Amino acid sequence: MISREICQRVLQKAVSTGADYAEIFAENTVNHVINMIADKVDSINDAVIAGAAVRVYKGLRSVMASTVDMSEAGLLRCAESAAEALGQGEAQIDIVLQERLFGDIHPVKIVPSSVPNQAKVAILKEGYFAAREYDSAVKQVTGGLLDVDHNILIANSEGLYTQDRQIRTRMFISAVAEMNGETQTGSCAPGRRMGLEMFNTIDPKNVGIHAARQAVTMAGAGYCPAGVMPVAIENGFGGVIFHEACGHSLEATSVALGQSQFTGKLGQKIANEKVTAIDDGTIPGAWGSINIDDEGTPAQRKVLIENGVLKSYMIDKFNGRRMGMASTGSSRRQSYRFTPTSRMTNTYIAPGQDKDADIIASIAYGLYAKEMGGGSVNPITGEFNFAVNEGYLIRNGKICEPVRGASLVGKGSEIIQNIDMVGANLDMGQGMCGSSSGSVPTNVGQPLIRVSSITVGGR
Amino acid sequence: MNFSEFKDAVISACGDAGITEYELYYQAGESTSVEAFQHDVNEFAASRDGGVCLRCIVNGKMGYASTEALSAEEARALVARAADNASVLEAEEQVFLGEGGQKYEPLRLQPYALPSTEELIAKVLETQEKIYAADPAVVDGCQTQGIAECNEIAIFNSKGLDLHYENNAAGLIAVGVVSDGKEMSNDFQIKLGELSQIDTGALVRKAVDSAKLKLGGEVAPTGQYPVVFSPEAMSDLLQTYASVFSSEAAQKGLSRLAGQEGELVASGIVTLVDDPFHPENPMPIHFDAEGSPTRRKNIIENGRLNTLLYNLKTAAVAGKKTTGNASKSGYTAPVAVQPFTMYLENGSLTEEELLEKAGSGVYIHSLDGLHAGANPVSGDFSLQSAGFMIRGGKKAEYVKSFTVAGNFYTLLKNITAVANNCHLPMAMGMTAFGSPSVLVEGLSIAGK
Repeated sequence: MISREICQRVLQKAVSTGADYAEIFAENTVNHVINMIADKVDSINDAVIAGAAVRVYKGLRSVMASTVDMSEAGLLRCAESAAEALGQGEAQIDIVLQERLFGDIHPVKIVPSSVPNQAKVAILKEGYFAAREYDSAVKQVTGGLLDVDHNILIANSEGLYTQDRQIRTRMFISAVAEMNGETQTGSCAPGRRMGLEMFNTIDPKNVGIHAARQAVTMAGAGYCPAGVMPVAIENGFGGVIFHEACGHSLEATSVALGQSQFTGKLGQKIANEKVTAIDDGTIPGAWGSINIDDEGTPAQRKVLIENGVLKSYMIDKFNGRRMGMASTGSSRRQSYRFTPTSRMTNTYIAPGQDKDADIIASIAYGLYAKEMGGGSVNPITGEFNFAVNEGYLIRNGKICEPVRGASLVGKGSEIIQNIDMVGANLDMGQGMCGSSSGSVPTNVGQPLIRVSSITVGGR
Repeated sequence: MNFSEFKDAVISACGDAGITEYELYYQAGESTSVEAFQHDVNEFAASRDGGVCLRCIVNGKMGYASTEALSAEEARALVARAADNASVLEAEEQVFLGEGGQKYEPLRLQPYALPSTEELIAKVLETQEKIYAADPAVVDGCQTQGIAECNEIAIFNSKGLDLHYENNAAGLIAVGVVSDGKEMSNDFQIKLGELSQIDTGALVRKAVDSAKLKLGGEVAPTGQYPVVFSPEAMSDLLQTYASVFSSEAAQKGLSRLAGQEGELVASGIVTLVDDPFHPENPMPIHFDAEGSPTRRKNIIENGRLNTLLYNLKTAAVAGKKTTGNASKSGYTAPVAVQPFTMYLENGSLTEEELLEKAGSGVYIHSLDGLHAGANPVSGDFSLQSAGFMIRGGKKAEYVKSFTVAGNFYTLLKNITAVANNCHLPMAMGMTAFGSPSVLVEGLSIAGK
């Protein structure tokens, strides 16, 4: 993308006013999405993102400049504007770049951009029509097949010069079902850090069936009752509870600025002893995985919470300076246009000892949240919310009728104390997580868990 | 290569490929942002970006491809990709490019000069100092941010359309973080406009006061109450449900307002307007994403659905004219439908009179998690809320961590009073939403 020699000259320009650190991040990304609606291929969104950003630090001051002009002259101008904005000073460091290869723990077998559109359409249609034909109550289906070929280059004043190629594939199917004048939706959107070989292990038909089944089930459901009750949250995307209630508050983005309920609590017990939580960017082929983060630090597996005790935050280089701690390979950005910051990768509650059947049987009256939707959190107060896409009432230890329209709200620091049963069967779900450095792919995950008490927003 | 040179390269590549109907949509911007933390500049960012989306008609299908890499080689690749993408499309629908020579409203833009980097930094640090001085409850963690940006849009097509738009924007963001020793809370306030005209003292006061308001507070009791939505909360709901007024959603079976034009869909006191030239919208624009002229229209008039919002394609399907609401969520996105400034028109009551009318109930000041807890297709919502109990017709104690649940379509019909305090709380870009406070019956609160 950019030669080592040019990077060296650009970095030298970037540190010319006394920066103690400089970095180039460049990318060339192809985003390709095929969309279907009303049984037809309706549109294709096909975009090349190409640009570079230069960042410089001096102490606790950071400056970033970005450009779409990737010529040497364009990059030098970009570096010069960053250096000028940092202030007055003399160059303090000499830059000598060495190429480093970190290897690929997520080898791709079928590169999507090399596959003709028609072949991808055929895969999408398998999923789409499986939803369409699931039940006569299904009135509309939308579907998409996304593939991303994200090529990044990182060079910095510590001598690093490296590149990585991140290929991701995702299918999303959403179904609309109508019964007795009620309209409800269901969706399913599995993704992997893989090429089209993803569909060797995930049958597209099952994606469509999953979405349609959920829409039809919910169209026939009554409203969820409101109140405080115990909730059993299923594995897979259910892990969004940890992501919102706790994960964001463990990112240096908020911890370093004192904007987290967990600032200064390392080594303290912050969760129920049943809770061990991990952020692992190294899981081969997983949606949130990386080889290196967007500052060139290799991905890590970090235990965030062990038996309820806070063990680690997720840290990027710049926030790490303020915290006096090293990067944990957590720096991520949507694209060169965003200033990177610490983010989650694949974040999950580790398997426990409880049996699924015991968890359900332990609840006299409560909610079984089979499928969760998205949510959000304010890391300062810890107040979070997330949607229940498919819920069932539990009565006398048995899963009963489906209920719709529920959400769960609470305060993170309280709710993670209330996770008092953890099952053994871990599964993950895929999402796009939004924060100050843009939208990045993350996995959430957990086994079936019980939250002993939480506010269920119903009616 | 600049846009003009790239445009010529694409035109020539289209010619070589035998493509005679095409359009280039160009979007570019320059922005500077400064963030201060603990009395000093913490982050500074300057970006310059721009990209081009090519749409072209091949065998009656509209192919799209976009790029940020403006080079002669990429121009040829772009045309080839768009043509290839067109070849797999199946939807049997008419496709359109906007005509040249249309008449547009004169642009009532009052451009202001962007601040220099030094002015921006000075203003951000001034705001930062005022936050720390504003109140003893203020703690570390208060960021202040300043932005200055210049945005540019151009549309050029083979039917003679050649439009150009530029706009400047500057503003300040103040985050107030406060603590009462037991817990922390925060709030942020944004003010756009010429920096020298922004009253940083008032901005800071509002951020700190709003943050202090959220300290303490109980969970609201579960039950059914009359609910008053603040302008902020109601604007958020309108934004979340804007797609129900899109003809595209209606035609695809994703809005329950399909076939409802001319029918009563809301309480008779509801008038919903879309006005691209609303004085509080920082980016008024005279053409839409297809180059059609934009205009003010009543979407709902006294409870009756006057019109959905249309672009050229959906208007042709419905046998109507476009309302000038073609949109693109980014330059790479397909043309869709969106409002520009959508707001509920003022009623006659003051907010105090509205609260009196409610008597007892819940005042919802803010909503969270709208992307997750609200479903635009079914209309159902269950949303994290914070606000006040209403007792004796007045705001009483602060309540939080509860949800409000209902259905947007039903809510429109159950609006029993509209206040006269309409404003656009978060008008940042081309699409903005506004509302006065409204009183709604029949919603469920879930709390303790």
